[in-house]
Amino acid sequence: MTTVPTTDVPAAPAGPGGPGTVRLTPLVVRLKLSLLRNGLRQSAGRRAVYLTSLVLVSLFAVLQLLGLIALRGNAHADSVTVLLLALMGLGWAVMPLFFPGGDETLDPTRLVMLPLRPRPLVRALLAASLVGIGPLFTLCLLVGSVISVAHGAAAFAVGVLAVVLGLLVCVALARAVAAANTRLLTSRKGRDLAVLSGLVIAVGAQFVNFGAQRLGAAGGLDPLDPVAAVLRWVPPAAAIGAVDAVSEGSYGRAAAQLLLSAAALAGLLALWTRTLTRLMTAPDASTLNAAEPAAREKAGRAGGPARLLPAGRIGTVVERSLRYVWRDPKTKSAWATSLAIGVIVPVFNALQGTGSVYFACFASGMLGIQMYNQFGQDTSAFWTVAMTISSPRDALAELRGRALALLLITLPYATLVTVLTTALLGAWAKLPEVLGLSFALLGAMLATGAWSSARFPYSIPQEGYKNVVPAQVGVAWISIFGGMIAAALLSAPAIAAAIWLNVSAGGEDRAWLLLPAGAAYGAALTVLGLRLAAPRTAARLPEILLAVSKG
Amino acid sequence: MRVHGLWKRFGEQIAVSGIDLVLPAGRFVGLVGPNGAGKTTTLSMITGLLRPDQGTVEIAGHDVWRDPAAVKARIGVLPEGLRLFERLSGRELLSYTGRLRGVPGAEVDKRATQLLDVLDLAGAQHKLVVDYSTGMRKKIGLAAALLHNPEVLFLDEPFEGVDPVSAQTIRGVLERYTASGATVVFSSHVMELVESLCDWVAVMAAGRIRADGPLAEVRGEAPSLQEAFLQLVGAGGRSAGTDLDWLGGGGR
Repeated sequence: MTTVPTTDVPAAPAGPGGPGTVRLTPLVVRLKLSLLRNGLRQSAGRRAVYLTSLVLVSLFAVLQLLGLIALRGNAHADSVTVLLLALMGLGWAVMPLFFPGGDETLDPTRLVMLPLRPRPLVRALLAASLVGIGPLFTLCLLVGSVISVAHGAAAFAVGVLAVVLGLLVCVALARAVAAANTRLLTSRKGRDLAVLSGLVIAVGAQFVNFGAQRLGAAGGLDPLDPVAAVLRWVPPAAAIGAVDAVSEGSYGRAAAQLLLSAAALAGLLALWTRTLTRLMTAPDASTLNAAEPAAREKAGRAGGPARLLPAGRIGTVVERSLRYVWRDPKTKSAWATSLAIGVIVPVFNALQGTGSVYFACFASGMLGIQMYNQFGQDTSAFWTVAMTISSPRDALAELRGRALALLLITLPYATLVTVLTTALLGAWAKLPEVLGLSFALLGAMLATGAWSSARFPYSIPQEGYKNVVPAQVGVAWISIFGGMIAAALLSAPAIAAAIWLNVSAGGEDRAWLLLPAGAAYGAALTVLGLRLAAPRTAARLPEILLAVSKG
Repeated sequence: MRVHGLWKRFGEQIAVSGIDLVLPAGRFVGLVGPNGAGKTTTLSMITGLLRPDQGTVEIAGHDVWRDPAAVKARIGVLPEGLRLFERLSGRELLSYTGRLRGVPGAEVDKRATQLLDVLDLAGAQHKLVVDYSTGMRKKIGLAAALLHNPEVLFLDEPFEGVDPVSAQTIRGVLERYTASGATVVFSSHVMELVESLCDWVAVMAAGRIRADGPLAEVRGEAPSLQEAFLQLVGAGGRSAGTDLDWLGGGGR
């Protein structure tokens, strides 16, 4: 654990707590400690996770410390440390967006009912934020950076200041961002966005990976220097920039960078205080949103493309399913992930020259997963569906509608991805064959998906990031992995045919046959799977409702 | 509606233990009982949303589990504690539910417009249900349950968390509905409400029916249904006690 400064925090505007008020800072720090302790006492699993992460982070921090010390004297030491710190600052700014519930003392709206003034509260919350794994890690990084770039007594003296400033800027940044976003995160639209943010990270990681490979190809750390030259003026990296400047003897630059850091800290604290005050006195944003007059009078939508849908239950179900793909945050993020990964894997592999046209089947595989746990996606609103299914025929119409909605997106998308991949690889001869395989796989996924939706339904929690309730992890695994294995087995004939046509003499000329054959096979599988799933669905309505209502 | 020997057990806990109940048609029936008495469980089993361990339920002469098609077409349900398709707007929800029920599209739209008007939801019809208040959710749920003109309507806590204005609106719609000969069965723990609305009452406690019959019969000698109810569930003599003598009076 880091040491906890219980005295006044430097640079925090000194607001008199006033005689008679409780010493807030030690109180809040103790609150944080007991929350941490109680959280760990709650379950052995959580304790294990916390201790493991503590050990891992400490280990990583120590290794990094050693690495930074070893870097001392290296020509690129300043660039590397500045970059690391800038990344660290970015991490602190982004973290509260993704883990809003990670820190109980973080959410100031819980303290709304207490008679607290903003300034002492800000000081106390800042002190409490310094307790934890994250600040410890940052401290190690800062100390290591100072050791790595500081030369001479003056530089080390500035270094001590830099460590304190850097740490405080990081923590204040996180708090200011968190407070500014509490309003967003407590409103419905904000939470909907937050669910999508995981996707941004997943896709972003692919691009970072791509960029890193490019950098690796360029060789050496020289490309980093111009970036670092800019970043050394951006707090919290500016603090380390100051240490480096002192080492080089340019005291003016050091003073400017230190001042910049201090100003950033003061600015962040002021911003935080202002948001906090507004948060505690202004009404919740979500109710304001709800009170907005319905400005978007677009009832015309039902008259548009919806008119092309078949009448009766199937069309109704398709319309609702498609609306949910767009409007329900969980469904939307699942779809967006599938769509993104479905194109990234084959196309990026093709771009990097390591791809194969067969990777294009990834698209239909990823999208076929959406057929699994159809009723879990409804949550307990499934009762409306259950109340209106009174025979296997109704259930069949329901399943057909859902499969059709899925196909309306998947079929064009999988075709597009396949064509794109073949175009990138220039393997046009393989196109019909891969398309046929894709369709066969899609059919197998739809068939097994429909069946396991009826047989192994599970709840999808609507809040937070989990996609399965803890008690149903087993069911979810059976549903998805069992289903995927079954789908692979079902599409085995198509795969076998493709292999046979490829190895047999003269088979190449007949490979186009796989397109109609694969499409027909996939369609047959889908029809059969839906027909098998329908009576099961109709017979198990109460059980399905019970299973999907746990979220 | 006939219920015979209805049982439901969740693990160790028996939620409903052997209910026998005959409810007359064309009445406003109140199912009352304290929290945890098994009202929601009973209503879920009667409407086919929860499979009973034992027992039979017949509505208008059709068994709920053997002949679901005949029963589901005749009943409307507003459950408690289950979501709606809340990412649809109020109007879309009605249009979706009505079409699932097999009502022709044009008819659904006509009825939806009228229901939205009567229930005072016309101004919010294009807003997503997720942004509705509790009272609005109950009203849109009621509209969805009424859309196919059912013979019997089951409402679980329809007035829970509803403001007085919305409650009055709901009440007006229900009174008009029963006046035409339809049956409403609703659960509640607000006795005054049940007393003023219902002409038939069933009292539940700890998974059993303690009393049922016409309102006057269940009330008996007691001055109000509240008193009769407290006696029936055996909570009559309990008072706030003298332990909280510090409470009130302005001191600290």
